[in-house]
Amino acid sequence: MNEQYLSVFIDESKEYIQTLNDSLLKLEKDYEDSEAINETFRALHTLKGMSGTMGFESMSKLCHKMEQLLDRIRSKKIKLDSTMLDRLFAGVDILEKMIDSIVRKGTDQLPEVDVNEFAQGFEVLSAGKEIKENTSEQKPTQSVVSISESIEKVIAEAVNEGYNAYQMTITLSEGTQFKAVRMYMVFKAIEDHGGQILSSNPAVEDIEQEKFDRDVQLILVIKEDKESLRNMIMSISEIERVTIQDIVHAEAQKKPAEKIEEVEKKQEAKVESTKERRRITQTVRVDIDKLDNLMNLMGELVISRSRIADTLRKYSIKEVDESLSNLNRISLDLQNVVMKIRMVPIAFVFNRFPRMVRDLAKQLNKEINFIVEGEDTELDRTFVEDIGEPLLHMLRNAIDHGIESKEERLAKGKPPVGTVVLSARHEGNNVVIEVRDDGRGIDRSAVIKKAIEKGLITEAQAEALPDEKVYEFLFMPGFSTKTETTELSGRGVGLDVVKNVVESLNGTVSIESVKNKGTAITVRLPLTLAIIQALLVKINNFVYAIPIANIDSTLSITKDQIQKIQDRQVSVIRGEIIPIVRLWDILELPHQSEDSIYNTVIVRVGNRKYGLAVDTLIGQEDIVIKSLGKIFSDVRIFSGGAILGDGSIALILDVANVA
Amino acid sequence: MQSEMEFEVFVFEVGGQEMAFDVEHVSMVIEKPEITPVPRSKKTVLGVMNLRGRIVPVIDLSMLLGLESEQQDEKIVVVNWEEMEVSFLVNRVKGVLRCDMSEVEKLHELERFGEKSKGIIKKGEELIVYLNLERILGELIAVGEYSSEGVW
Repeated sequence: MNEQYLSVFIDESKEYIQTLNDSLLKLEKDYEDSEAINETFRALHTLKGMSGTMGFESMSKLCHKMEQLLDRIRSKKIKLDSTMLDRLFAGVDILEKMIDSIVRKGTDQLPEVDVNEFAQGFEVLSAGKEIKENTSEQKPTQSVVSISESIEKVIAEAVNEGYNAYQMTITLSEGTQFKAVRMYMVFKAIEDHGGQILSSNPAVEDIEQEKFDRDVQLILVIKEDKESLRNMIMSISEIERVTIQDIVHAEAQKKPAEKIEEVEKKQEAKVESTKERRRITQTVRVDIDKLDNLMNLMGELVISRSRIADTLRKYSIKEVDESLSNLNRISLDLQNVVMKIRMVPIAFVFNRFPRMVRDLAKQLNKEINFIVEGEDTELDRTFVEDIGEPLLHMLRNAIDHGIESKEERLAKGKPPVGTVVLSARHEGNNVVIEVRDDGRGIDRSAVIKKAIEKGLITEAQAEALPDEKVYEFLFMPGFSTKTETTELSGRGVGLDVVKNVVESLNGTVSIESVKNKGTAITVRLPLTLAIIQALLVKINNFVYAIPIANIDSTLSITKDQIQKIQDRQVSVIRGEIIPIVRLWDILELPHQSEDSIYNTVIVRVGNRKYGLAVDTLIGQEDIVIKSLGKIFSDVRIFSGGAILGDGSIALILDVANVA
Repeated sequence: MQSEMEFEVFVFEVGGQEMAFDVEHVSMVIEKPEITPVPRSKKTVLGVMNLRGRIVPVIDLSMLLGLESEQQDEKIVVVNWEEMEVSFLVNRVKGVLRCDMSEVEKLHELERFGEKSKGIIKKGEELIVYLNLERILGELIAVGEYSSEGVW
């Protein structure tokens, strides 16, 4: 099978699974939401077609059965209920598993699921709860296809655009083997010639299943005249007879003036809809490697630009100044564009959460109003893969530990339905993601008790500890306050995982909580990983870079201001006790110049702050982060390196691991 | 006639000893540039250099092999292995040599290089240590493999 098509198929299927989840969630809120029903139906129908084309029979079959159920709901033959909805959700899960299996093993066969039996379940649902006996389905095939009002409108519009409207009856030869295939060829021929089939009798689904004898009636619009249409159809083998009749559009003749106006209106609407469509289709899927490559080249361009600028500055040639600043501006613009290309809306990450929250809430028998805000917020695509898991942990925590049971909430005088808000927004050069709940909040005394138990602090220290310090314990590995562990969270992996991942992405995480009011966990990420702003500092003769995102402030402190508390050097800065580390000690560099004044950079990691003493502060610069490679994976104090304007290398400090 | 046993090696001198890598992994030889040390990295790693906008580690090959270092006529041999680009500090570069598998011998006296060597290439009076690049790079990475911190 063609790899290229397969990857497109997989990408698109995943999108449709997402659509399905979204529209089913909508349906759960309103069983009658006809738009959501249609959306679900369309997604299933497309998915069925796609998987069929790719030869994934089980998947196609399951889609088909689900689609049938939806079709019956859509045509109001049966009513949607929660059993059906659960079944549909389960079906979507199986489809997702199939896609997963296709990715990993190249087959849609799932050993653990009997898809046939599962699909059969839909049939029972579709058939079992018929609202009323529907005999009209067994209409004699000779009957004329009825022209509904909506079709009439389309015909009117098409005729106006120079199309011909026909009613066509096709009779297949006796004993035709693959009737569905023949009819498919007819459909395709019409569509290939720019025609559109508006209605068919029997219905398309029945034709696909060969549930017809030999005759099929179609209503279609096409630009071809009757004769060439007939030739076109007759050229398909095993077709015995074609009769074509004009459909004279009644309305079109009766009240032309009125109609034109109407058509104009419709055309306007149509223009609008095509505009919208165009906006959607004007995107290109680009291989991520190519984007990364572009980003690398961009980085090199930035470096070369600074080098040229550095060299030319020495000679101060007036003539080049202007072109140089031009070059500067262009490369900055280019840099921004490339960065933007790599940005994707956070919806890519958020999309899967509503479904997860629903399942989780059901499982825990809690009612949750899940609100998602700022899905359009864009962030670097490298984050998308990594940030999902930590957010999942945070949401699980909020639902499992945060939100109380209904009874408990009522007893506290809170609304029985808990609220969990997942939000994203831009703040300066950061993307801020927050998970907020209105649950029980973090029990400060429980955290302190655990911390004392673990020997992290003494009882005496605990009293004076500010809240944020107390919450910091929650980020330590193996620290969980919930006494009974549930299946979902409290398995020893929790906030420490969140912290690890976020910090590996150069971000920070913090907690705020008020007892019985709720908890908010905030994750701050840089806008992009590839190019960052950094403060360059010097130790001996080597330059190191500290990401601006981690910097709180810079100041000089004298030796006298540094005190020793429990083997740690600290300084009181604006009333805060801040540990001070000498960067040369951390880097194990020999250091002679013992000045009495330290240039100190105060850095922030989560809720923690400390000061880094350096020799010189050089200044702020945009740097392109490059990995140091596998050989340095044991050196955790550096997150990478950057090439500076003069061609030298500055190592980038990973402040989370320095002290 | 070319025998299937024939292969080409890139020969250079380190610590007074002639050594060789398979030629297909050697991408270039350059003069020793400015090297930025990486604090707290392995002793055998001299640091990183800027190679046309790429950051490439520089390995002290003599120290890695436990030889006396000569600190003269220093050259950098850049190699590519799979996705990795790494460079080695050597003393002198000799050039490319065609040899035959029959000229490669496993010698006991050179066991001090252990798995880092694939054997000795004998060319008349000349003895060249045939280095196992894969093994050398593997050892450099292995020590630095991720610690077991990631929970998932």
